[in-house]
Amino acid sequence: MAKGHGLLRGKYAVVGVGETEYSRNSGRTTRQMGVEAVKKAIDDSGLDYDTTSWGTTCYQVGDAAGSEIIFSDLGVRMDYQVDTWGGGSSSETLIGLAIGALEAGLCDAMVVYRTMNGFTEMRIGGTPVGAPAGPPPFMTRHGDHTMHSRIYGIASALQNFGLSFVRHMYEYGTTPEQLAHVKVAHSKGASNNPKAYYKQRLTVDDVLNSRYIVEPFHLLDCCVETDNATAIVITSTERARDLPRPNVAILGTGGRTHKWSPDYHWNHGPINQVGGIYTKDVVFPNAGIGPEDVDITGSYDAFTFTTLLQLEAYGFCPIGEGGHYVSDGTIELGGRRPNNPSGGHLCEGYTHGMNMVIENVRQLRGEVDDYCEGEHTYDYSEGACRQVQDPQITMNLGWAQPPTGSSLVMTNQV
Amino acid sequence: MAEYLGAGVFVPENDPQHREYLTEAGKGYLPLQQCDDCGAKIYPARTMCPECRSSDMTWVAASGKGTIYSYYIVPHPINPAFKDFVPYPVILVELDEERGTMGEHRALRIVGNLLGDDGNPAPREDVAIGKRVEVTIVDLGDGWGLPQWKLSGEPDEHEAWQIPHSYPP
Ligand SMILES: [Zn+2]
Repeated sequence: MAKGHGLLRGKYAVVGVGETEYSRNSGRTTRQMGVEAVKKAIDDSGLDYDTTSWGTTCYQVGDAAGSEIIFSDLGVRMDYQVDTWGGGSSSETLIGLAIGALEAGLCDAMVVYRTMNGFTEMRIGGTPVGAPAGPPPFMTRHGDHTMHSRIYGIASALQNFGLSFVRHMYEYGTTPEQLAHVKVAHSKGASNNPKAYYKQRLTVDDVLNSRYIVEPFHLLDCCVETDNATAIVITSTERARDLPRPNVAILGTGGRTHKWSPDYHWNHGPINQVGGIYTKDVVFPNAGIGPEDVDITGSYDAFTFTTLLQLEAYGFCPIGEGGHYVSDGTIELGGRRPNNPSGGHLCEGYTHGMNMVIENVRQLRGEVDDYCEGEHTYDYSEGACRQVQDPQITMNLGWAQPPTGSSLVMTNQV
Repeated sequence: MAEYLGAGVFVPENDPQHREYLTEAGKGYLPLQQCDDCGAKIYPARTMCPECRSSDMTWVAASGKGTIYSYYIVPHPINPAFKDFVPYPVILVELDEERGTMGEHRALRIVGNLLGDDGNPAPREDVAIGKRVEVTIVDLGDGWGLPQWKLSGEPDEHEAWQIPHSYPP
């Protein structure tokens, strides 16, 4: 069977979502946060704790409580469980895996969750807080690429990704000002999101006047690391019709496709194009749509430029024109195709992609948690509405590193 | 014990590819694996030739010449070993070898730091996409060496391009 056959298009649905506060001082274990998020998602779904055959999957990098401990706190017996290793790009990938488990008849409903103290325990790029002082050795493990990366002072995620985007600047004339517009757009949505860690609306100058983390990237080009847990519940669309929540069906996924080589694809160019150039050939045929059909995008915005590179890769604009696309108003709340109206990783908080999946579910339900009381006003001024008007199709774009992509297409038209 | 910037350099005994890489570099040149079967030159160090899946490879000397393909400047150390090394440029060098032979957009591209004549990181004014560079080997001790880069003095390969400065002085 060829990839992207679309046989399960619309057959499964997201029926529950839940999350904890986005903070930088949770003061709790990933176990306690995970239990809260999963319970909120199951409560939201309306599925019965005791009579449903449950399956679960989570992702972590040795930094979080696993399914056995969380489901035992909840008093839920699991018929299927597979906890996986990974950070970014996992959420969309595991939603595809969950569909596979359901289709295989292993259980009736699947929970996908992520819990992480991303600020107080494990920082971005896998750096543990409180690691011993003094220089750690340069040491290869499992034959890895330490002697071709860390020994040259390439240590953080930004340093791992930066060469790809600087080459984009060189080839296409993309500017720091254009990049700053991604932060401006996401902060506009965040100002209407009571959950967002940073709610302040920012300007291009705010971004350009923030200090360099890695030149040419500024502090405000980077996301906000937070402590947080997120969870969603998936079951069949048939079962979902009997549940209380508005239906949000999954049209298709693409799961962690790769370019040729994990050495940040420097030998396999174009190095300024990212893994989505392969993912799109899986997800769009699966979903039966194209980029022109998408009303809201949810990009993995660990940095401003990851958004730009992904939007190009999936064809939301031609390759090389991402600088124009992100700065002409299209991706802002109120624009033609808003991206991360919650504020995303740049402003709301950082849970490796899951919070943007939750946002898109709520957008498709027409139930975004903004400052509207009662009906949504679609007034996008500061401190008001962030519900996009009548969205029908959303797309999430997952990122782990430049050569890796995953994605998810959902709809309320079922 | 091999050391770099005051931090130990360890490669387990069961990782011969990287032990040999550092040992060959310690002889004073940029080592590449070359496939005995298809002749492809390979970087970074691998356990199999990804062009033809042969396991038989031999270390050969690269010309050690190339052109800066991308770069950025790191102002703050993450690993404390780099505290006296900042600010430093990370550069991606496209080697002269194998260009255009492996397919579209493919080449051997190697990361490193651009160093000045004194062995310290080069200032940002000296770094640009398009500039020509040559390898220089930094001694790690125990016979191991680390490939690094300095400007070769050759004419730029194409019009040099620098990151536009977008932070107030
Ligand atoms: Zn070969």
